[in-house]
Amino acid sequence: MQVEFELLMPKTLSEALTMLAPAAERGLADSSTPVMPIAGGTNVIPDLRDGRLRPAVLMDVSALDVLRGIRRENDLPGGLPGGLPGGRHGGGFIIIGGGTTIATLLTDPLIAQHAAALRQAAAVFANPLVRNRATVAGNLADASPAADTAPPLLVLDAEVELTSRSGTRWAPVEAFMVGVRKTVRRPAELITAIRFPVPPANSASAFHKVGLRKADAISVLSVAVLVECDADGLCHKARIALGSVAPTPIRARAAEDRLQGQVLTPALIEAAARLAAEAARPIDDLRGSAVYRQRVVGVVTRRLLTAVVDQARKVSSQFFGESPTPEEQSHATQSHHTQS
Amino acid sequence: MKSERFRVLGTVTRRKDGIGKITGREQYVTDISLPRMLHGRILSSPYAHARIKSIDVSAAEALGAVCITWDDIPKVRYNERIVTVPWALHQDHYVLADKVRRMGEAVAAVAAETEALAEQAVRAIKVEYELLPVITDPVTAMQPGAPAIYDEVLLGDEPVKIERNIACTREIEEGDVDKAFAEADVIIERTYKTPKIYHSQMETKSVVCRPEPDGGITVWPTTQSIHNVRILLGRIFGIPLSKVNVKRVPIGGTFGSSIQMNPPIPIGVALALKARRPVKLTLTREEDMHDHTRYPTQIHLKLAAKRDGTLLGAEMELLADIGAHNIQAYSFLGVTIGWLVSLYRIPNVRYRGTAVYTNKAPSCAMQGFGNPQVTFAVETLMDELAETLGMDPLASKIKNYVGMGDTFWGQGPMVRSVVQSDGVQELLHQGAAWIGWQDRPKSGSQTGRYRRGIGLARGFHTSSAGAPQPGDVIDFSGALVKVNQDGSVDVVTALMDHGGGTLEAVAKLVAEALDMPLEKVDIAPAETMSTVYDVVTHATRGVYAGGGAAVKVAGQIRQEIIDTAARFLNVMPEALTIEYDPEVDQGVVFSRSIPDRRMTIGEIATRCWTNSWKTIAAVDSYRPVNCPPAYVTTFVEVEVDTWTGQVRTLRAALGSDCGTVINPDMAAGQLEGGLSKGMGFALYENNDWDVAGQLLSKGYLVDGKTPAIMEMPKPEDIGVYFAHTCEPSGPFGAKGIGEAATNPVAGAFANAIHNAIGVRFYELPITPEKILAAVRRKTDAVREKGESQAGGEPEKGLVGTGGELQ
Repeated sequence: MQVEFELLMPKTLSEALTMLAPAAERGLADSSTPVMPIAGGTNVIPDLRDGRLRPAVLMDVSALDVLRGIRRENDLPGGLPGGLPGGRHGGGFIIIGGGTTIATLLTDPLIAQHAAALRQAAAVFANPLVRNRATVAGNLADASPAADTAPPLLVLDAEVELTSRSGTRWAPVEAFMVGVRKTVRRPAELITAIRFPVPPANSASAFHKVGLRKADAISVLSVAVLVECDADGLCHKARIALGSVAPTPIRARAAEDRLQGQVLTPALIEAAARLAAEAARPIDDLRGSAVYRQRVVGVVTRRLLTAVVDQARKVSSQFFGESPTPEEQSHATQSHHTQS
Repeated sequence: MKSERFRVLGTVTRRKDGIGKITGREQYVTDISLPRMLHGRILSSPYAHARIKSIDVSAAEALGAVCITWDDIPKVRYNERIVTVPWALHQDHYVLADKVRRMGEAVAAVAAETEALAEQAVRAIKVEYELLPVITDPVTAMQPGAPAIYDEVLLGDEPVKIERNIACTREIEEGDVDKAFAEADVIIERTYKTPKIYHSQMETKSVVCRPEPDGGITVWPTTQSIHNVRILLGRIFGIPLSKVNVKRVPIGGTFGSSIQMNPPIPIGVALALKARRPVKLTLTREEDMHDHTRYPTQIHLKLAAKRDGTLLGAEMELLADIGAHNIQAYSFLGVTIGWLVSLYRIPNVRYRGTAVYTNKAPSCAMQGFGNPQVTFAVETLMDELAETLGMDPLASKIKNYVGMGDTFWGQGPMVRSVVQSDGVQELLHQGAAWIGWQDRPKSGSQTGRYRRGIGLARGFHTSSAGAPQPGDVIDFSGALVKVNQDGSVDVVTALMDHGGGTLEAVAKLVAEALDMPLEKVDIAPAETMSTVYDVVTHATRGVYAGGGAAVKVAGQIRQEIIDTAARFLNVMPEALTIEYDPEVDQGVVFSRSIPDRRMTIGEIATRCWTNSWKTIAAVDSYRPVNCPPAYVTTFVEVEVDTWTGQVRTLRAALGSDCGTVINPDMAAGQLEGGLSKGMGFALYENNDWDVAGQLLSKGYLVDGKTPAIMEMPKPEDIGVYFAHTCEPSGPFGAKGIGEAATNPVAGAFANAIHNAIGVRFYELPITPEKILAAVRRKTDAVREKGESQAGGEPEKGLVGTGGELQ
C-alpha cells in the first residue's frame, strides 16, 4: 500500500525539538497528530506501507549533521547523570550521535577498537543499502525484539540520550525498550545520542546472529557477550544479552552472575550458556519455533563466551601482566597450567 | 560443446543488451512515459474469500479519478494462459473479480493524473464485502461440504461444475502395474511435500496501454508472450487483432511468472479505454507477492525394482494446491507424470493427479513447471532405493535412465519423442571425478559438530513442447530475417528474453548461418503487428524452437543470397558457396573454380538496392517435432552444523548437456543461477499463509528468504562443465538449458544432507530447525539403544547440546 504523509524537514536541532513539542506548546489544537521522527526510514516506511503505522506527520532528522558521528569523551560536560563514575579505568565514554548510520559503525576506528560486538552486529545488519541509511538510534527506537544493535549495546552498558525542549535525560538501553515496539521515549523527545563507557582493555565482546540466510535476514535469535577477565581467567565482569527470544532484547542476568568473580572454565561457560538458554522466553513465529530458539541460543552463547574469554585472557597477559623475564614466563605458563 | 565447425557459436561474446542494462539505459515498462498518461492503481481485496455486495466509487470520482468496477468490464471469462488449446482450457477468470477468492484480488481500479492521486482515489472507494469461510489447506478443501470457491467454470465453451473444489484430475496408466509390483524384489514408497514459494523476479508486473484513434490499443506489458497477450486482449475487449499491437519490452526476469497474461494488463487496458488516455499500472512488490507462486505439491511415490536395481514400475499420486485460479492445472498434472517417466525407464506406471482450489495466491509455472517438485521426489527416492539395494546411486542411475533411442515424454502424455543425443553418462562421470564422489563419507558415519556430505541428483528439461502430433500444447515459432542495404542483418522475432540471453543466442545462430560477423546481425524491436507468431518463451524452448525458427529462415536467406549472386556473377547458383572471409569480416559468395568472380554479402545487398531490385528477406514459421531432453547433473557438497542445524554449501559440480553451447559464459550463468534458485527451494524459501488466507511473510522479500550471493559457494568451488553432444534436431546441434539447471538441485541437497548426517528429509525446505530436530531424534534413539545395550556410546558432540541444554 502506498501512503501519504506530511514531511517536516528541520534545519537545526532546536527547530526539530520545537516541531516535536506538544501541540499546546506550539499553539496548536490538542487534536493535532503527533510528529514521528524519521532518519533512514528503513523501518518506518515499510511499516507505513504495511499499514502497521499511520502517522500523518513525519520529521526527517537525517539532515541534522550535529547528530552524526562517533567520538570519545573523557569528561562529560555537565557531569554524569545517574551517579555513574566517569568511566571505569578512566576510559571515558564513546558517544554515538543519534543520526549515525549503521555503515559508520563499520568504518569507525573507535568502534573497531572498543566495541567488537557492535561492529559485528553492524556487519550482518540487513544489507549495504539499508546500512547506509539506517541509524543506531532508529534501530533502538523501533524496539523490535530482533533489533541487531540492541544486544551489543546491552552488553556495553549503553544509555540512550533523550532530548526535548525541556531538557535531556539518559535511559539505559535495557530500560529504554519496554515491550515489542514500545519504548520510554516521550512524543516530545528525540534520541540525540547513545553512549557507553569505554570497556577496559582486558575485555572482549562478540556478537552472533542466526538468520535464515546470510544477508537481509531478520534474526531468528542473536547473542552478544562481553567478558572482562585477567590473565588467569578470573572474571571481573560478564554481560550476556539475547535478541529475538523475548518481547525485548534481554540481559541473561543469572548467566552473568554465574560467571562474575569466578575463574572461567569450560564447565562454567557451559553452565552459564544453559542459564542463558533458560532466560530466553521465545515464541513460535514464521522465522523459527520457540524450541529451536531456546536450544540454539545456548549453543551460540557458549560459542561466543569461549571465544571472548580466550581473547580477553590473551590481552590481559599482554598488557596487564608484569613484563616477565624468560624464567618468570615459563613459571607463569606453569602456574597457568596448574590452574586450568 | 564448441567445435571446430563453428565460427561464432561456442565463443564468449559480449551480449548486445549488456551495456544498456548495466548503465541503466535499458527501458523497462515502468520507464515508459507517454504524453497525457494517467497512473493506475488497483483496489485489492483485504480478504481471502468474500462476496462483493456493493462498490461505491463516487468519492474516488469526485477526486477526478476514472474508476472501473465489475460493471465496466467485459463479461468474458478467460484463462490467462493460452498455451493449451482452447477446448482443453479451464476458464475461471474475469478482468475484475466477480467474487473475491484470494487476498489481493483486484476488485476495482482507478486512473488519475498522478500516482499519489490514484492512491488517494483507490482508498476513497467503498466496498461492502460479505465474508465467506476461507480454505487454505487443499486436503480440507476436498472434504465434502467444504465451502465452494467456485460453483462452475468453463471448460472450452462448456460450463463444468466444480465439486469439492477440485479443479481437475488426470489419471494415466501404462503397462501392467499390479504385475510389476507383484514381481518386484523391492518396493519403496514415500510422501514428499514441496512449498509454495514466490518467484522473486526482479521486476514486478507492469503495463502501459495507449488507446488509439482507430479504436485499437497499443500495449507495453511485462510478458513472456506478446502474441498471446494480443490474442487474449482482442478476445476480451472485442477488438480485431489487427488493431491490437503489443510491444516487446525488456523484462527484469520472470522465472515463469509472466507466461500467463498478467492481471494488471487487462485492467490497465480497461482503464485506458474508459479514460481514453494512456494509463500506466505497476504492481507494488507487496501486490506482486500476492499474485503468483510455484505450485506446492504433495507427492506420494512408490517404486518397484528388481534386486539388481532395474526399475519395474511406479505409482505416483500428486496433489497440487493451485490457489484461487486455474492457470494451467490440467497441463501441470500432465507434465508431472512426464517428468517421472522421462527420468527413468519405467515400463509400468500408474498416475493420479489432483488439482485443488484454495483461497491463496494462484500457483503457476516457475522454472521447471513441476519438474523441480517431481525430480526432488524421484531423485531422493532413487537414492534411498540404491541404498536399500546396496548399490552406488550413480550406477543405479546409469542402469535406468532414459537415454539414447528411448521414448521420452517431453511435456505430458501427448508430447513424445525419441532421444537422439545423450550426454548423461559423460556428465555423471565427469561430475563424480570433480567432486570426489567415490571418496564421499559413508552416510551417518560421522561424529562431531560439523559433518560434510556429497549428494547427487540428475534431471532434465524438455527443449520446447514440440512433438510429431499437434497434441493439446501449442508450440511453434517463427522469424523474419532481412538483409539490409549494407549487408547487415535484421532478425525480427516475437521471442522474449527473460535475461538469460535468448535473443543474443538467436543473433549468434543467424550470424553462424549466414557467415556474417555477430556485430552485423541485430535483433529488431518487436511488436505483434510486425512479427509472426511465437507461442511464448517458456519450456526451455527459446534457443531450440525460437532459434530453430531463425536458423530455418536464415537457410532460406542463404539460398536467396546465392541465387541473387548467381545473376550478378553470371555463375550457376549450384557452383556458388558462401564462406566467412576474415579480411573483409563478412560472408563472401564465390565459386572455387573461378576465384575472381566473388562478391561480399554487403556488395550483393547494395547492388540489389542500387539496381532497384529487391530486399533479400524471408519469413517462415517453424514447428519443432521433437522436444529433446536437456540433461543436467548436480553434485553438491554441504557442511551441516549439528548444533544449529545450519547448512553451508561448500562445492557444486554442475553439468549440462545442452548440445552445442552457444555462449559458454552465459550457459554457465544459467547453471549457477539454477543452483541458487534450487538452493532456495531446497533449504530456505517458504511462503506461509495463515488460516484467514493472509500472507504471513510480512517481511516480504526479507522473509521470502530467496538465497543471495552470500549463500553461494565461492566461484572456484563451482565446477561447470558441458557434455560433448550434438542434437540432430536442434539449431546447429543446440538444445535448451534454462529450467533444466534448477530441476535436480533440491534432490542433490537432500541427498547430500543425508550423506552428512544419515537422515532423509521428505519435506522442503530443509530448514535448520528440521535438521536440528532430526539430529536430536537420532541422538536420542542412539542413546536409548546405547543404554539398553549397556556400553554403546552416544554420539559425541551432540551430548552437550542435545541432552543438556534445555
